[in-house]
Amino acid sequence: MHTLTQRKLLGRLVAAALFAAGSQAALAQDAQPIRIGVVTPLSGTYAPIGAQVKMGLDLALAEINQGGGIMGRKVELLYEDEEANPQVAVQKAEKLFQQSKVDFLTGTVNSGATLAVGQVAERNDKLISTTVSFSDAITGDKCSPNVFRVNAKAGQQSVALAAWLAKEKPGSSLFLLGPDYEMGRSTVAAFKAAAQQRGVKPVGELFAPLDSKDYSSYFGQIRAAKPQVFYTSTAGNDTVRLFSQMAEYGMNKNVTMVGVSGAITAQNIKAIGKNAEGFVTGVGYSPEIDTPENKQFVEKFQKANKVLPDLYGADSYGVLYFYKAAVEKAQSTDTAKVRKAMEGLQWDTPQGRKTMRAADHQAIQDMYVVKIQDGEFSIVSKVDGKDAIDASVCKRW
Amino acid sequence: MNALLETLQFVYAPQVVNGLSLGVAVILMALGLTIIFGLLDVINMAHGEFYALGAYLGMSLLGIGVGFWTALVLVPLIMLPIGYLTERALIQRVFHHKDRHILTLLLTFGMAIVLEDLFKLAFGPNPLRPDTPIAGATELFGMIFPTYRLFLMGVGVVIVAAVWWVVYRTRLGAMVRAAAYDRHMTASLGVPVLRVYAGTFAFGVALAGLAGVLLAPVYSVFPTMGKDFILMAFSVVIVGGLGSIKGAIIAGLLLTQVQALSSLYISPVWSDPLVFGIMVLVLMFRPQGLFGRLGHG
Repeated sequence: MHTLTQRKLLGRLVAAALFAAGSQAALAQDAQPIRIGVVTPLSGTYAPIGAQVKMGLDLALAEINQGGGIMGRKVELLYEDEEANPQVAVQKAEKLFQQSKVDFLTGTVNSGATLAVGQVAERNDKLISTTVSFSDAITGDKCSPNVFRVNAKAGQQSVALAAWLAKEKPGSSLFLLGPDYEMGRSTVAAFKAAAQQRGVKPVGELFAPLDSKDYSSYFGQIRAAKPQVFYTSTAGNDTVRLFSQMAEYGMNKNVTMVGVSGAITAQNIKAIGKNAEGFVTGVGYSPEIDTPENKQFVEKFQKANKVLPDLYGADSYGVLYFYKAAVEKAQSTDTAKVRKAMEGLQWDTPQGRKTMRAADHQAIQDMYVVKIQDGEFSIVSKVDGKDAIDASVCKRW
Repeated sequence: MNALLETLQFVYAPQVVNGLSLGVAVILMALGLTIIFGLLDVINMAHGEFYALGAYLGMSLLGIGVGFWTALVLVPLIMLPIGYLTERALIQRVFHHKDRHILTLLLTFGMAIVLEDLFKLAFGPNPLRPDTPIAGATELFGMIFPTYRLFLMGVGVVIVAAVWWVVYRTRLGAMVRAAAYDRHMTASLGVPVLRVYAGTFAFGVALAGLAGVLLAPVYSVFPTMGKDFILMAFSVVIVGGLGSIKGAIIAGLLLTQVQALSSLYISPVWSDPLVFGIMVLVLMFRPQGLFGRLGHG
């Protein structure tokens, strides 16, 4: 009798354990994974950016799935190559929404692709988020209720830089030079306005065609204006030639050189060499950020990928946590509910706590001013998130 | 008063000197163009591509380990036979036709297109740039200039003087001028006119090639580099007078100074239309240019 009870009990226990395990398995099978589409350039000119996007997303994916996923559901990433071409991006996004039934989409790099994919998302009643595109229009006059941006836009970079300039060189004179096309003209106009508001005096501006070989003919007006600060929004090899020629003519003597964050990057800093020294720019992320969260992130990122994260890697890492926080707050993946949860949402990223502004779906974040010293960027100043952003101009909702 | 002096020294003077260095480069191109026109009556539309060919030859020589200064001497020497053969094999074929002007223009224009594509195939579309052979800057009366540009001006002046001397002070030059003035009379005096033609073409082309190597460290080397420069060289030749050496030199200096000084007040992008505007005005009111042509002075 005694033994029988014991055996019975044991049998029941085993049965119970088996049942519990079985039901858990059944539960997990019931919950479909959350599918996130990634439309990003894996080939072409922007492939290095797409590579950082993928590294950041993959790292966050592994962490989130290890920690039990989102609301107990695993997360799945579906990659598509957009070739840095808005038309291709639209086709791939349509495919992900229609056939793969993704819940959410991210990864677009080129600002044109983000705007175009945003329209696809509106038609499919899904949400997208960019982690890379800079164009102010995305969360400005071309804002969309279905589009969010978790990275800093061009305006935040120039406001941060202007704020630093106003503090370091109050009332200084400023000369601006940009490449002669939409990006160059809009960056120069934006920085000029931001600097002027803060008491810096613009004394001249010039636009040189893309791929100019000789900038020396532009130096006459710069000499005549005698600026204390020189701003440029050239990129790539244009910056290499501009900075080398300015140095050859002694134009960078006693002048503070500032510019857009894309002017000098890992790609051209070696070619510019010592002439890049002292260049100052505003950025949303730097692996140098001295917080325990960031140090941990940089270490994990480097261990997984053998390279340092840049702003694209960090912001793409952060977007999965943005989505996780939103879905958990909404307790649903329904578009309307998640959108409502995202608006005003605060979430933690390697570069600190970000806030998603409800008015235009632009993330507000602390900005950093970095300076090139001994061939490397180091942080010289931090600008508080709310001081580095201007009022929303989005009027769609 | 001091402020005025300072403006002159630090704003105008650098602009003038910079204009001069560009002017010397343009004159080197325009000289070849104007001599070929003055003698052969051929407008060499491929002149810019020969300038590019010189630059690419220079880059290739640097690539196999030849020093810059050796390349500077070698490239014009290699360009001479190329130019000579081009004239004998291609230009002579259509030269004696009654539609000579149109045919040689189309022929050289076609050559320009073919050459440009060949550069693209062989060297790729991206710009190449040799290291500046004379690095650093020189201070002149408180103004700072890249040493290489100063060197460029010096070499340019020497080359222009040498060309002048050859054309006006040597027996060879006398034959060229005579052939330009009346080729039948010159031929009957025993001058091998056809060889003088080919030789002159080769000389003009070699000059363009030399300019290509000299300017490579400043403007980089890329397939369309000839087009960028040839428009300016044509304007100089037209304003100076087609076929005039003196005209090419004076117009070259004049137009580049207009460009340099105007870009103090307008965007440098607009200084090109200004130069072309002057060319149009000259064509309207003095179509023969400022000076007469070679052999007619």
